[in-house]
Amino acid sequence: MSDRQLADWRKEALHLQSEVNQVVVGQADAVRLITTSIFARGHVLLEGDVGVGKTTLLRAFTRGIGGGYQRIEGTIDLMPNDLVYHTYLGDDGRPHVSPGPLLSHGTDLAVFFFNEINRARPQVHSLLLRVMAERTLSAFNREHTFPHMLVFADRNQVEKEETFEIPSAARDRFMMEIPILVPADLDIMESLIFDTRYHDVDALVNQVKPDILQFDQLNQVAAEIQSSIQASPTLRRYALDLWLATRSPADYGVKIEGVDSKRLVVAGASPRGIAMMMRAARVNAWLNDREAVVPEDIHAVFHETVAHRLVFSPIYEMRRTEIARELLSQIIHAISAP
Amino acid sequence: MTMTRHLRLIALLLPLWLMHGYAHAAAEDTGQVSSKELPVDITAINPEREVGYHVGDVLTRTLILKVADKYELLPTSIPIPGNQKRYRNKEQGIEIYASDLKHEHSGDQNIYTLRLSYQVFTSSIVAKPAALPPEFVKFTGEGQLYRVRLPSWNFRISPLAVYGSVRIEKDMSQFRGPLLLDDKRQQLTLRIALVVLGLSLLGLLYILGNRSWLPRMGGPFAKAMRIVRKTPQDAAGVQLAVSSLHQAFNQHAGHSVFTAEEVLAKLPQFGVMQAEIQQFFQLSRAVFFDAKAPSSLNEPAHVWLRKFSRRCRDVERGLK
Repeated sequence: MSDRQLADWRKEALHLQSEVNQVVVGQADAVRLITTSIFARGHVLLEGDVGVGKTTLLRAFTRGIGGGYQRIEGTIDLMPNDLVYHTYLGDDGRPHVSPGPLLSHGTDLAVFFFNEINRARPQVHSLLLRVMAERTLSAFNREHTFPHMLVFADRNQVEKEETFEIPSAARDRFMMEIPILVPADLDIMESLIFDTRYHDVDALVNQVKPDILQFDQLNQVAAEIQSSIQASPTLRRYALDLWLATRSPADYGVKIEGVDSKRLVVAGASPRGIAMMMRAARVNAWLNDREAVVPEDIHAVFHETVAHRLVFSPIYEMRRTEIARELLSQIIHAISAP
Repeated sequence: MTMTRHLRLIALLLPLWLMHGYAHAAAEDTGQVSSKELPVDITAINPEREVGYHVGDVLTRTLILKVADKYELLPTSIPIPGNQKRYRNKEQGIEIYASDLKHEHSGDQNIYTLRLSYQVFTSSIVAKPAALPPEFVKFTGEGQLYRVRLPSWNFRISPLAVYGSVRIEKDMSQFRGPLLLDDKRQQLTLRIALVVLGLSLLGLLYILGNRSWLPRMGGPFAKAMRIVRKTPQDAAGVQLAVSSLHQAFNQHAGHSVFTAEEVLAKLPQFGVMQAEIQQFFQLSRAVFFDAKAPSSLNEPAHVWLRKFSRRCRDVERGLK
């Protein structure tokens, strides 16, 4: 793939970003991060309060990406086989088996949207571990592959009843966990209340131009981006220092008020997590029309690619979001490059 | 009766006449010493102190004799070294140690400077009065010989050691100063201690002053400038220089800074060199991360970095 083609793809990516920003207002950072994740071929978990637009945002992207799309709602009685197949009695009175959401589009599945993932049981999370990591599934005595699939999931942190904490192994499969907050701009807040355009979500999502990207070429584009965007030795060293600092922040002089830095982190970012961070940073550099990664590219994705992978001591888990954000900010401030 | 009165008068006058005749005959025998007093101006310069002399000490006095130039001092009349005055046929223990005579002629006067040194050869168990004895010198002139007395000078000779037990309250001689202890060692210790204290205070000042001797001296950019100045002109040198300047920015900001905008927001005093700071971060990006990043420098990087570091140091010191 030539540089020119990469440049064309960048235009398409920015077009998609622009289209989504028109229907989901006040979420420019999240839109940018999801665009980055799509071209880095990483799964995305959105986290936020109820009714802030998580589902709308993901639906808008789904429409722009094109390809097969499936959606499932997380419930406490959802079982892994519900994702693979479902059985019913047909008109002929005989039992029938038909493919479930994961299998219905075959290899053309582009987006699998898991709504309220934290309401699903751990058994379902376990199934997702393999699907997200390997993009394969064994069912009906054969191996099914989903080479173009991205998992978009969301959860709300407010409700705790009838929910299950997503295990760290499952969280680690997501490239990013993106917080979705209510926009701070008063004009946007006012328009969200009074502009009827935002009241009909289906109509709103339909405003996004469909199939802006060719979903079946995204893997190739992503590989080309990763190979063409350079990372200098200085930047590699910087990324390594960042990784080490997530594992033992006290060694890098990181201090958080009211937190014992030496006891805070049980497990830092995983090698897979840091690799995903660098993939995302490369895409960010490409979206900014650069040929090499700079520290700002890492900063742009650092919180969202690393925070959800950290495992804290149980006494700090209740303040996880707040502490993770402060910890990662401190790490960026503590480590210099060069 | 009248005869008796005449005899008595003769008996009275005869001895007087005989004595006068003897004296006149004696004067005519020696021939020179005049009974007239010679007008000599004598100035004596004596030792400064009058007490505290011991056996063996040498005292020197200078006598300046001014006399009309028609009179001359006889050099043979000055005291002879080794001579010792006697009193009642007893040696006084003050011996002429040396004598020196100088002669000048000024106007119508002869000026003689006589320098006499005496050595003390006596001692006592208590303070003892003594004197540099009077001396006699002779002048000639107009066929006459004149004898001139040089005045004596009193002083006291001290014993070498206190004899017997002494109660100090009964021995408060005004001629003796207070007894002083030898405090040289303590003085030396005090001086050394003061020097150490002074150096320690200087060191403390240096540490409290953030390892700089003057306010705003030795700041991060001053240190960076020294490093930049010494870096070689190759690529590694430029990398080291840029890295040093990054560290200086980080130290000033209190945390790592990655863009010119961050620096200017955190360090508003550097706003006067906004364009240069942006150029610096562009250069840093090109040096460390992206060799294809555009550079807006009009001169070699190492030259520009030296100027930039100097400018940063000036701003750091409050200069604009």
